[in-house]
Amino acid sequence: MDARARLNQLKEKFGSSILRADFPNDRRLYVYVEPQALKAVCRYVFRDLDARYVISVGADDRPYSGTFMVYHDFAFDKDKILSSIIVQLPADNPKVDSISDIIPGANWAEREIRDMFGIEPVGHPYPKRLILPDGWPDGLHPLRKDMDWNHVPKDFDEDREFSFGETPPGCTVVPFGPFHPTLDEPAHFRLYVEGEMVRGCEYRGFMVHRGIEKLSETVLSYNDVPMMAERICGICGCVHSVAYVQAVENAAAIKAPPRAEYIRSIMLEIERLHSHLLWVGLACHLVGFDTLFMQSWRIREPIMWMAEKITGNRKTYALCLVGGVRWDITLELRTELRLLLDKLESEWKPVVAAVVKDKNIQKRTSDVGVADKQFCKEMGLVGPVARAAGVDIDCRRDHPYAAYDRVEFDVITHDTSDVWGRVVVRAKEVFESIRIIRQCLDKMEPGPLMLDITEELPVGRQGLSSVEAPRGESHHFAITGENNKPRRWRVRAPTYQNLQGVPGMIKDQMIADMTISLGSIDPCFSCTDRMETIDIKSGVTKVWSQDELFRLVRAKNQG
Amino acid sequence: MDLNIILLILGGLANVFIVLLVAPFFQGLLRVITARVIQSRQGPPIWQSYYDTFKLLGKEDIESGEAPVMQRFATYLSLASILTVGCLVPMGFRSPMNGAGDAILLIYLLTLSGICMLLAGLAAGSTYSLVGISREMMTMLTLEPLFAITIVIAALNTQSFRLDTVLNGAVYQSAGFPVSGIIMLGVMLLAFQAFVARVPFDISEAETEIMEGPLIEYSGPKLAIFKYAQMAKLIVFSGLFIGLFVPWGSDLVFPFGWILFWVKVFILVIMVTVLAATHARYRIDQAIRYFAALLAVGIVALILASNGF
Repeated sequence: MDARARLNQLKEKFGSSILRADFPNDRRLYVYVEPQALKAVCRYVFRDLDARYVISVGADDRPYSGTFMVYHDFAFDKDKILSSIIVQLPADNPKVDSISDIIPGANWAEREIRDMFGIEPVGHPYPKRLILPDGWPDGLHPLRKDMDWNHVPKDFDEDREFSFGETPPGCTVVPFGPFHPTLDEPAHFRLYVEGEMVRGCEYRGFMVHRGIEKLSETVLSYNDVPMMAERICGICGCVHSVAYVQAVENAAAIKAPPRAEYIRSIMLEIERLHSHLLWVGLACHLVGFDTLFMQSWRIREPIMWMAEKITGNRKTYALCLVGGVRWDITLELRTELRLLLDKLESEWKPVVAAVVKDKNIQKRTSDVGVADKQFCKEMGLVGPVARAAGVDIDCRRDHPYAAYDRVEFDVITHDTSDVWGRVVVRAKEVFESIRIIRQCLDKMEPGPLMLDITEELPVGRQGLSSVEAPRGESHHFAITGENNKPRRWRVRAPTYQNLQGVPGMIKDQMIADMTISLGSIDPCFSCTDRMETIDIKSGVTKVWSQDELFRLVRAKNQG
Repeated sequence: MDLNIILLILGGLANVFIVLLVAPFFQGLLRVITARVIQSRQGPPIWQSYYDTFKLLGKEDIESGEAPVMQRFATYLSLASILTVGCLVPMGFRSPMNGAGDAILLIYLLTLSGICMLLAGLAAGSTYSLVGISREMMTMLTLEPLFAITIVIAALNTQSFRLDTVLNGAVYQSAGFPVSGIIMLGVMLLAFQAFVARVPFDISEAETEIMEGPLIEYSGPKLAIFKYAQMAKLIVFSGLFIGLFVPWGSDLVFPFGWILFWVKVFILVIMVTVLAATHARYRIDQAIRYFAALLAVGIVALILASNGF
């Protein structure tokens, strides 16, 4: 079905509640509905039309239409459509019905909208702070257009604490984070433990939120943003810069030249290679198998050198601008890349064979961190986590972008829904990436790398883009704006959804499996936390004050 | 004082001195082989464990646990108990202090060194150390009996608990064909890695899971002593294993018997290294099941031994 057909389905069911619809092409659908009908429409789309929930976005549109806007993004993967159900809310009393009871995966997104815009999700099961630090004063919402990007609130309350829930009876609290040898970035998982079994978990994160979305609306321009976007993540930077420029290109209805698209695909796959090889090593280290960790990283190193030869940097490629790319892959680089891929393939095959046959690793990872198909749908889990549960989704095939519609590859799935499945999926995806790069190198034609954009981009257009990061779908939403900068930019990294699944995955499992379950989603906290109130950094440290830390560390049985 | 007693004590101290001198070297050997041969990397120099110990000894001792006095006690006791075992174990020559204790004392001392870890974790009082010692306790409960069974089989065979008979292959001296001895050889080989607490059985100190477990509140000199105790454990347990199961050749004339002993220790350390580098860490319930299976086999061996086999 195409976008028009889906719209007709909605119109049939909801008639006059559908206020307006835009479908700029066959693959994008924007439907404006009445706020009262929002929950019913979302329920219909999620359950009856079996769409996948992606994210909910808020926007302050008061300078233009006098309203706040809330977007609920859904994906029709089989039809290759990305769609948005949109409501406009009055500026003086922005309230919207919460959809988290129908779609548990919307939990964080709605809390974020509440923190950043002050739009209250009515009926939300867990209306606690998500992004803002605990001491941040009420009533001050950073992403509203009337708050400056560098505003420092005077009444920051250092002693206010996050109100965790009640400890279940018979359980001890074991704090996992904010500092833990396994985590590279700070996050706090409050585990409720009975003996060695985890009975519940609460998450408090966003300690290194950096204010990227606010900066993109205020002080950066269209072509500055990709350079910042690729610094969102410590591993998958290219993904975010490609997704952003694609969202803007989608909004402005422009297309990068073919050679640029091939180069984007090649660099994205190079990134996937280095990320998966890193992860397999890391997973082995988490279960105490350091030998395989060392070998994986040794095999991975030549990819980093290759990326440095092509772009000048091992990880932060500075690759994309709106309308094209900045680096070319010369003939010598192509030859070197082909040789590298051959060597990589021949070295990785025995490692995969060793891992697949290893009973030791299987014992530590089978039936651990289980997230089955139903759970994946409810929480909106993506990437290898979903594919290991048999959910057949991959943005490269479902929402083709860059050059993926011109190459052939298989989407690897597994059916065990546990950490072991994720290991197998990632190990095998390496071979698919190698295949894709080889095809791109064969099919690439000489041509321009950048589109010659001579006019200003049209203003007020919406664009959606989903890119398959190594961890899953990275979804960007952009509204083009005046003065050469976007009006709104929302980044939804895959870990944002996958982290919400972690409490369910570790419930009724042993503490020892906590790290490998968390590690199996390949968490990228820097992708997830997107704003840090820089001036209040010392305040944030104080929120997790000495008292709080000591109490957490020395917590005895609180049952 | 009687000259004999003085010589006795000096002899025992010689054992201790050798253990202290040599333990970091074997640890360094373990690290170098793991790095260069197995993990394709440079790794540290072979003397690194000595450097690490000296470095730690020179650091500031921050007493951050719940009960610092008990922490100090646990630290010193852990090294002391292992070294006392070292006094009794024959290291290529008959230990001079052989007559000072018997096999029962040996069992007690080994249990004591395990208990030191428990004390250490309890005294520190942090959540992670408590989780770590609960794992250590479970491991000890299922593992120590294996050692006791070996001693009992040796005693059944020779009607004696004396160390110079028990630690001289007494398990093989049964009336009939020493089936129980051979079974126990297999069982103890399979359990050796757990006795010396290396991967896959270093569960109580899994640093990626529970942040060093019982040792979490120990820094500087105390940590140095604990690490030393762990290194010494490798040597002492190797000596015990050799004395119990592969004692042949240790009565060769000095220095051949002595060299043969260290060759055997070297082989055991290589075995530990290779196993450690090629396995992932077990989870506590998996490890307990493994030990329980070994225990069941051990009991069968005990029954056989009491019937003359």
